Amino acid sequence: MNRIKSSKIAWCVALAVSAAVVATPVLAAEFGAVKPMKINAKKAALGKRLFFDPRLSGDAAISCSTCHIPKKGFGDGLALAKAYPGSDGFRNTPTLINTSLKASWFHDGRIGTNLNDVTRESITETYSMNMDMRLMQERVKQDPIYVKMFKDAGYGEPSNGSIRKAIPEYLKTLTSRGAPFDSGKMSAAAQRGFDLFKGKAGCAQCHSGPRFTDDAPHNIGVPENPEIWSNPMRHITFVTFANFMGIENYMNIRRDVGAHIRTHKADGTDIGKFMTPTLRELKQTAPYMHNGTSKTLADVVDFYNRGGGKDVNKDPAIKPLGLSKEERANLVAFLEALSGDPLTGPEHVWKDKINVNYAVIKDWLKTRN
Amino acid sequence: MKMAKTLSSVIIATSFGLAASGLVFPALADVNPPLAALGPVPVPTDNVQTAAKIELGKLLFFDSRIGGDASVSCADCHAPKQGWGFNDPISRGYPGVIHWRNSQTVINSAYLGKLFWTGSAKSLEAQAPSAALGAVSGNGERDMVEARLAFIPEYVKRFKEVFGDDWPKVNNVWKAMAAFERTLIHDNTPFDKYMRGDKKALSAQQVRGLKLFQGKANCIECHNGPLLTDQKYYNLGLPRVEEWSENGMAQITFRYEQYAKGVTEKLYRTIKDDAGLYYRTKQKSDMGKFRTPPLRYTAYTAPFMHGGSFFDFDEVVEFYNAGGGKNDFTDGTMAKNKTKLLKPLGLSDGEKEDLVAFLESLSGPEIKISTPKLPRYAPLPAMAN
Repeated sequence: MNRIKSSKIAWCVALAVSAAVVATPVLAAEFGAVKPMKINAKKAALGKRLFFDPRLSGDAAISCSTCHIPKKGFGDGLALAKAYPGSDGFRNTPTLINTSLKASWFHDGRIGTNLNDVTRESITETYSMNMDMRLMQERVKQDPIYVKMFKDAGYGEPSNGSIRKAIPEYLKTLTSRGAPFDSGKMSAAAQRGFDLFKGKAGCAQCHSGPRFTDDAPHNIGVPENPEIWSNPMRHITFVTFANFMGIENYMNIRRDVGAHIRTHKADGTDIGKFMTPTLRELKQTAPYMHNGTSKTLADVVDFYNRGGGKDVNKDPAIKPLGLSKEERANLVAFLEALSGDPLTGPEHVWKDKINVNYAVIKDWLKTRN
Repeated sequence: MKMAKTLSSVIIATSFGLAASGLVFPALADVNPPLAALGPVPVPTDNVQTAAKIELGKLLFFDSRIGGDASVSCADCHAPKQGWGFNDPISRGYPGVIHWRNSQTVINSAYLGKLFWTGSAKSLEAQAPSAALGAVSGNGERDMVEARLAFIPEYVKRFKEVFGDDWPKVNNVWKAMAAFERTLIHDNTPFDKYMRGDKKALSAQQVRGLKLFQGKANCIECHNGPLLTDQKYYNLGLPRVEEWSENGMAQITFRYEQYAKGVTEKLYRTIKDDAGLYYRTKQKSDMGKFRTPPLRYTAYTAPFMHGGSFFDFDEVVEFYNAGGGKNDFTDGTMAKNKTKLLKPLGLSDGEKEDLVAFLESLSGPEIKISTPKLPRYAPLPAMAN
């Protein structure tokens, strides 16, 4: 479906509704399909194999795809992420679909540069993949398939620098496609939901653009997930994180401070802000929120309808919405219409078995290292 | 000769001044420190021994939560049942990795001035984090170690008792481990008894071996003093570790070590053996040198040498009898650093047996320990905020 047509439809709808409701008018042109990106096929193919290779973690037990599972919309379907063996996570695994287009990454937005840095963070951080990149480089060099793929991709010899380029190139291929919203095949209910989304429900104040996010942190009062504080394996990971991030009193706090780790405001008004997530591919990525406390889209809509949760720092824009049961159902129908085809085919998933045993270099004495 | 003369006149000239200031004068001649029974273990003044600290260190030594994925503890590579080392030529490593050197016994390590095969740690307190945090050994991480300990109430209590902090501090982990290691002492060997005056402690054959050790075989040149090591570094011409030619995972670690130890790219590309002390000093003259190991408890710590080349004392004695060996750092491939102290010894079969018998007298009863029951994680109390 071409973009112009769908935006025309959206325009008319927006005009029609604007007379009646209008909380915050949002130009429908801000929405639209996520544009596919230009891809270097060889680099992306290499990145794809690396993404599915457990040898990129310290004990060679998990790969990127252990938590970013294609069949789960490149999330993991869990409220709270697993983590590196010996640890458990304290946040929900975000989808990687459309991740290349983000302005900053992680629920707190702590990396605002590029996916090269995100890749480094994820591979080396003690509670994610706990890998010494020097060792990773030598592991990759030991696999003749990689040696050839790096060369063919124009990277020369495998290096941790080019690993951190190839994986982001692969991530660029993870682009939403086929959503009813983009193809103009939304149901009438979804269409009504879209109107609410832009109007009465006020969702579009933060969820705008092709990915339906303003890429900014907000406090909407999502309740704490008590599992983080009752399960030492998760709380330990939080303490490790908060200590490293320079959070004061990290042994005695029992809440996820969110984007405060970026801005460290002395008055603490930035505590509890989290990045607005994309609304693409929600059908594949339940549960929701940074800590997985909303199980279904209906739960999410109910949460906003109540005016969010309780928090001294809650954004004043979050207020009770007074949506009827039918309006809430329409909104859910619209959110579902933002999900497209699963990215589970060979284009996005490395299907060949990866031999994780390291071949011996024969004639090692005469081979340059 | 001329040099020595000049030196001695300088010394005579200076000695009046030194004598006046009451300083002890160093011996000029190369006299090896005599063999002796093992004395008391040295304890640093900033980490004194207490029973509570030692007990805490013992728990931590066996606790795999110090390691990255909570599956490896100190005791996995320094296994009490494997001579407090590891009975393969090359130590196991972190899961997914193999190490690249032989794991040395912890027994009597408290006496050594520096730790590791090339002396890269200056104390037990410094050795522990290197092993616990290194990518091919424990692969742990300081903040994570500290956080895990905070969730083990038994540790919180014990650390507070021993070190006084409200929460366990990671640097105190290494202190407690070191205190425990200072209790792993082996000083009741037949040799020690003999040196303390019990002349029946050694058999006649072992006494003959002792004489050879100090005489014809000249072991004492390096294996001297109460520890039976001069703690200096030599290239004996030991053979290359076979794993590097046969095992892909070992080849990875070999290259990783070159990379991590900061050699030049040129050297990284061409090196095919462990350059030892060179990694610390970056001096070509140190290539292939490793520290003389102490010899007590060796009945339990085979295989021997930094690459685990020899599986028993016979092989070790044969190696020295042949005047050592050759490797890339002796034959000019990378360097020509073989120690001149090694020469063919011309030992008879009987003499070799005597020497082996003496080496056996350097081990007493095996040091056994019951694996402690480790305390569990528990949630922290809830707090409102």
